[in-house]
Amino acid sequence: MINLKDHMWLESRVMENKMPQPVRGIVGVLFSFVIFYALWWVFMDPRGILRWYTPQYGYMYVRWILIVAIWQAYVFNFWPFSLKWRETSHPLVTGAVLIAVNFAIVGAVIWGFFYNFLGIYSIPYLSVDKLVSKGMTEFFAREYSSLAILMFAAIASWLSPIVPVCFENHPWQSMKQPARGITVFCVTALFSILAFFCLMHPHYHVLFWPWQEYAAAYPWWFDFARTLHGNFNVGWVMCGTVAIWMLEITFDRYPFVMIKNKIWRGFAGFFGVFLFAILLFVTFNFIQDVAWGPAVEGAKRILAPDWRYLHSGELAIMMLIPAMILNFYFDNGPKKYGVAGNIALRLLIIVISTVIFHWLYYKFSPAMLGTQAAYSHPQQFPMAPGILFICVMLFHNWFMDLWPGKKRIGNIDKVLEDDEE
Amino acid sequence: MGVSRRDFLKGLAIGGTTGYLAMAGASSTVLKDVFVPPRPIGDFDIGECKSVKCTVVSETSWFNNARLVKDMKDAGGLLVNQYIIPWTHEGVKEGYNGDNSGGFCTLIDVELMDGSKKKILLDCGWNTAWMDECLEREGVDKMLENHEIDMLFVTHEHFDHYWGVESVLKHCPDIPIIVPKGFYKEGFDLLKGANFPIAKVKNDYPHTGPLEVRESGKVHPLFPGAASITFDSAIITRVTGEQGLVFNVAGKGLVAITGCCHMGIISFLEEIKHTVKGGDKIYGIQGGLHISPFEDWDPQYDDLIKALPGYGIEILGCNHCTGYLTAEKMVLAGMPVVQGTARFKSKKKLYLGNGDQIMFG
Repeated sequence: MINLKDHMWLESRVMENKMPQPVRGIVGVLFSFVIFYALWWVFMDPRGILRWYTPQYGYMYVRWILIVAIWQAYVFNFWPFSLKWRETSHPLVTGAVLIAVNFAIVGAVIWGFFYNFLGIYSIPYLSVDKLVSKGMTEFFAREYSSLAILMFAAIASWLSPIVPVCFENHPWQSMKQPARGITVFCVTALFSILAFFCLMHPHYHVLFWPWQEYAAAYPWWFDFARTLHGNFNVGWVMCGTVAIWMLEITFDRYPFVMIKNKIWRGFAGFFGVFLFAILLFVTFNFIQDVAWGPAVEGAKRILAPDWRYLHSGELAIMMLIPAMILNFYFDNGPKKYGVAGNIALRLLIIVISTVIFHWLYYKFSPAMLGTQAAYSHPQQFPMAPGILFICVMLFHNWFMDLWPGKKRIGNIDKVLEDDEE
Repeated sequence: MGVSRRDFLKGLAIGGTTGYLAMAGASSTVLKDVFVPPRPIGDFDIGECKSVKCTVVSETSWFNNARLVKDMKDAGGLLVNQYIIPWTHEGVKEGYNGDNSGGFCTLIDVELMDGSKKKILLDCGWNTAWMDECLEREGVDKMLENHEIDMLFVTHEHFDHYWGVESVLKHCPDIPIIVPKGFYKEGFDLLKGANFPIAKVKNDYPHTGPLEVRESGKVHPLFPGAASITFDSAIITRVTGEQGLVFNVAGKGLVAITGCCHMGIISFLEEIKHTVKGGDKIYGIQGGLHISPFEDWDPQYDDLIKALPGYGIEILGCNHCTGYLTAEKMVLAGMPVVQGTARFKSKKKLYLGNGDQIMFG
C-alpha cells in the first residue's frame, strides 16, 4: 500500500484522460509552448519587453525558477498550501497561484539573498552593485554575477532531487511537512554550496585581474580539461541534472528501485546517476569532436574546449526535453515490452527526437526567439529557452495536472487518509 | 519489487562493465584517431611578397566602453540590429567632440617580389568626421583621390569598421570593394547612398566601382603573396561573416592581418595553418584580436594567452578590440607585443595606436 510518508502527493494523483491520443499529447505540448513563448517574449526576447536574455541575466532567473519549482513540488510537497486546496481548486487557479509564488521566491532569493545580502557581506561577485562600485561595466558585472548565482541553482537542481528520487526521502520519510522539506532543503543546500565552492568558485580565481589567488583555488581541472573555464563543470553538472530526471521519468527509477533497502538504494542511485552523467558527458564531447574536429586549446567559439563542454550540457538538455514530452504528454510509451525493452525503446525515441530537435532549434531559434545565429556564439545559449520550456512543462504537470488533456479525479485512498491524520 | 543480493551484484557487474567500456570506447585515443583524424598542414600556394607595412589610421572605434555597451543594452542587448540602435553621438567627455564613435581603419602597403606596390585599405571606420581627420592625417585621402589604393577590404559589417564608408567614397567613389558573405540589405543600401536616422549613419556618395562578396570556407587569392579567408562567424548586433588577410613574406613566414577577428585569432591561425602553404610558420599578426574589447574578461581568454605562444609568432601587432587587459597579460606571458606611442586619442602605449606603423619583412 502506498503511504504518504514514503511518496509525494504528485505520485498519488489518479488522473483521467479527457482526450484521446495523439490529440491529448499535441494539445498538451502546444499549451506549454504557448505559455513558454509568451513568457519568453515578455521576459527574454531581445525584441520583446524586458529583454533579459543577455544571456546570463535571463538564464539566472530560469535556473532559479526550476529549482524553486522542484522545492515546491518535490521537497515541500506544496507546503504551505494544503493538499485539500491543491485538490479542490481548478488547475488554472492552482497553476496561477503556485507560479506566482514561484516567481516571488525567485525574486526574493536573487534580489534579497544574493544581491543585497551575500553579495554585499560575503562575496562581491554575487552583487552587481558591488562589482560596479569596483569600476566594472554594469553589463558585464550583471553577467558575471548572474553566472555565479545561477550556478548555485544549477548544482542544486542536480542534487536536490537525489533525496526524493533516489533515497525516497529516507531517512527523513517519517517527518511531516514542513519539517521534512526544511530538512531535505538544508541537507541538499549544504551539499550544493559545497559543490559550488569546489566546482565554480575557482572560475572566479581567474575571471578577475589580478587573479584572486588568496580567495579562490586555481581551477584544478585545467590539466585534464585544457581550459580554465568553469564550463567544464557546468557541462557535466548539466548532464547530472538530466541524468537524475531521466532516471525519474524515462527509467522509472529502474534498476535502483529493485534494491529493497532505501538507504542503499539511494547511494546506488546517486552513484549510478553520477556515472550516467559522466557517460553522457564523454559521449557528447566525442560526438562533437567527430562533427567539428578536435577542440583547440585557446580557441574561441566552436573549437573552444570550454564551449564543447558547455555544449555537452546543452545537448543533454535537448535530450531531456523530448524525454519529458514523452513522459508528460504521450504516456511514457511504449509500455508493453517489459521494463528493459520499454526503456530501450524510449531511449531510442528520445535519441532520435534529440537529433531532430537539435536541428530544428538552430534552424529556427534566431527568428523565433531572437537568439544569435550559429552554434557557439555566447549569445546563442539554448539552455535558457530549453530550461524555460522545461519549467513550463513542469508547471503544467505539477501545478496544473496537465489540464485540459487530463483531469485529476482523486488520489490513492490511503494517501488521503494519511494526509488527514 | 525485491531482488536478491546475488542478482543485484550480477546486474551491477554487467551494467558497470558495459558503462566502463562505453566510456572508455568513447574517449579512447584509438577511436578518436579513427573518427577524428588530425588535419594536415595546408598546401594552397598564395605566392610570396617582399614586405607588408601596416599604418594604423584609427584603432579607437569608440571612446567610452561603458557608454557603447549601455547603448546596446538599452536598445535590448547585444543581439539588436545595429541599424536601429540610437548610438550616443554627443555629451561623451572623452569622445571626439563629444561623439562616442570613432572607427577602425588600417592602411596596408605591400611590396611585391618584383618591387611593385599594392595598397589595401582595411575597413573604413565609423564616425565620418573622425575618419576624415584620420585619413587626412595619414595622407590616405590624397591616395584615394589619386587612385593609389587598390581596394577597400571590409572585414565585416560592424558599425565601427564599415559605417565610415562615406569618408572613403567621397574621395574615390569607384574604389573596388570586397565584403564577406553575410552582409545585410542595410549594408548594401548604405553603399548605394542610404540614410539610417536612428543609428545616425548615412552615405551621400554612392559607390560606383566593382563590389565583390567573398564566400566563406575557402582561401581567396588577392595578388601574389596575398589572400583572404572568410568565416561565417555570427557576431553581436546581428552581424554575420568576417574575413581576414594572410600574406606570405619571403624568408619570414605568414602574416595574419585582421579587423576584429570575431572568429577568434586561434581559429584564424588554425585555418591558415591547415589551408595555406607554409602554414606551419606564422611570422606575425596585426589587428584587432577581439579578446577583451570592453575590458571584460572570461577564463577562456586566459586559455588563449596560454596557447598562443605555441604558434611561434615573432611579431605580435595588435590593438582595438584586443583590449588593454589582454595586452598586459600577453606582455607578462612573454609574448612579442609591439608597443605603441599612445597618440591621437589612443589611450595607452601597451599596443599599436593611432598613427603607429608596423613592418613585416
